[in-house]
Amino acid sequence: MTYFVLAFGGAFVLVPLLWMISTSLKGRDQLYVYPPQWIPSPVRWENYVEVWTTLPFARFFLNSLFITILATVAEVASVAVVAYGFARFNFRGRHFLFMLMLSTMMLPSVIGMIPTFLIWRELGRLDTFTPLTAPAWFAWGPASVFMLRQFLLSVPRDFEDAAVLDGAGPLQMLRHVVLPMVRPALLVIALLAFQGNWTNFMAPLLYLNTPDKFPVTLGLKFLETSLGPGSEAPMWNLMMVVSLLVALPILVLYALAQRAFIEGIRLGGTKG
Amino acid sequence: MAVWSWYVDALRDYAATVILLGILMLLVYAGLRALGRSRETALGFTFVLPWLVGFLAFQLFPFVASLYLAFTDYDVLSPPRWVGLENFARLLGDPKFLASLKFTALYALFSVPLGIAGSLACALLLNRDIKGVGFWRTLYYVPAVIPAVATAVLWRWLLSTDGLVNTVLAPVYALLGMEKPRWFLDPETILPGFVIMSLWGVFGANTVILLAGLKNIPRELYDAAEVDGASGWARFRHVTVPMLSPTLFYVLVTGLIGALQMFTQAFFIETPRSTVTFLQVYIYQEAFGLRHMGYASAMAWVFLLVILALTLLVFRSSPLWVYYESEVRGEDRAARGPQAPGRRLDLFRPGLRRRLRAGAPAVDDQHVA
Repeated sequence: MTYFVLAFGGAFVLVPLLWMISTSLKGRDQLYVYPPQWIPSPVRWENYVEVWTTLPFARFFLNSLFITILATVAEVASVAVVAYGFARFNFRGRHFLFMLMLSTMMLPSVIGMIPTFLIWRELGRLDTFTPLTAPAWFAWGPASVFMLRQFLLSVPRDFEDAAVLDGAGPLQMLRHVVLPMVRPALLVIALLAFQGNWTNFMAPLLYLNTPDKFPVTLGLKFLETSLGPGSEAPMWNLMMVVSLLVALPILVLYALAQRAFIEGIRLGGTKG
Repeated sequence: MAVWSWYVDALRDYAATVILLGILMLLVYAGLRALGRSRETALGFTFVLPWLVGFLAFQLFPFVASLYLAFTDYDVLSPPRWVGLENFARLLGDPKFLASLKFTALYALFSVPLGIAGSLACALLLNRDIKGVGFWRTLYYVPAVIPAVATAVLWRWLLSTDGLVNTVLAPVYALLGMEKPRWFLDPETILPGFVIMSLWGVFGANTVILLAGLKNIPRELYDAAEVDGASGWARFRHVTVPMLSPTLFYVLVTGLIGALQMFTQAFFIETPRSTVTFLQVYIYQEAFGLRHMGYASAMAWVFLLVILALTLLVFRSSPLWVYYESEVRGEDRAARGPQAPGRRLDLFRPGLRRRLRAGAPAVDDQHVA
């Protein structure tokens, strides 16, 4: 009984995914064959080549990589610095600032959307990658700061006290003593940051107008007008190929992270 | 090739940001030290500065500015014109706004409870001793990591008029003597289409969170209930639900806020009659399509108030159904005497839990016939 229900739920999850893969390997004439074909004959692997060669998909992919890597590096670095500040130093107003930061999580982004857009317009940075990358230095993601702070609070101070005696400055301390101990947490933050930036749709939609600057998320919308339901004869097979390629980096990262987490937990934090 | 200049310019801005931020941090540190503050205070402030600068520039300022804009008429090209409450008055008579609000609320009303019920059922099953828990857990998590844009494209294909869903369900439609639903193309079936799509994406994360919550319920409570002859349903009702209620509460709040903020999928899936849409999409269209920046700001504020009101409602209702174990232990418990049972956590024999805690056997000799 248990297995039956589990399998039923599993089917609900899996069937759409399988259909996605199946569709991506079909020719246009096989899309509406009745009864539905799960394994297309012939299997058209060419679809995957075609996407890179005939569509501007390679450019979208490069843009996404550029934006995501820059934003992720900046986000992880600044989150680490800010979380350390909240976890290790007692100063007046710390509690208030921390609560303020957490309360910003409740606000919908749409509230600040228009004025933020106007700020970038004043700075002459519309239709550039800047609004999507540079602000990541300001510790995007209160949830990540909160999580890392929790981790840092659980790290004993002895190592830092020892490092102080060795004459380490606060930044060296952070880099060489503290952060190595919370590596798994940093990995989670990096993963979430990557995922958030890679899949972001609203911000690029606001700031980018030139199709050649689009990341994959906008690129998908762009292609949809020419290949998807917006066109005369939708090329669902190519749309599925592109969607799968958008999802692929995230899936691969999760798979890699799984192993890294297990490693990280096994090596533990006491390797100061 | 001029194309590379885009990336070079972005890198320049990126580097400039970090250099300026670094200089600012040094200045703040030096300034605080000069004012005679302790080294610790100066360092602490310096370290949280990146967030503080971002907060002031990209959160506090936009927040205040959008409140100001909500009372103006502003099309970006000419300076804002103060119009008082006009925008808000217009809102209340805007049928499209009211329709969007209703549509968004209905979506949240259906998708959130259904999603929670589904993921709770999954979590309960996975919490049993079954083979290959890791496999199932991974499987259920996959849709959660598929980007929203890909999910939207996929479900558009699945729910197209001749798509897989309609093909598979064709016998059912025949049996009910109804037409094939056209899902996203028919105003009547747009909402169910979105709800089905949301259920597919929400399973993963919530299932994992709820599963973690279930793992934290002490076994002894179930043992005690079993000894008292509680049926499976009673155990679920009187042990699982109260003990899991904080987790359920968290999932409900985050789910609600997420559902109300539906944007990406809704933007992707164009529906025929442009009157029915999600609130965030409508705000976006007004602001960036028609350049009604003032009117859109007013809408954003009303939307914020709606979210806050709903969140507050859920929070205020929480004492009625959320049970926190810690409220029973500690000071509270001392005040109510050692035997104070947990609020609404009715184990069937109040004394039993105490005995279990004290390490006594759950079943005394008289019970063993």
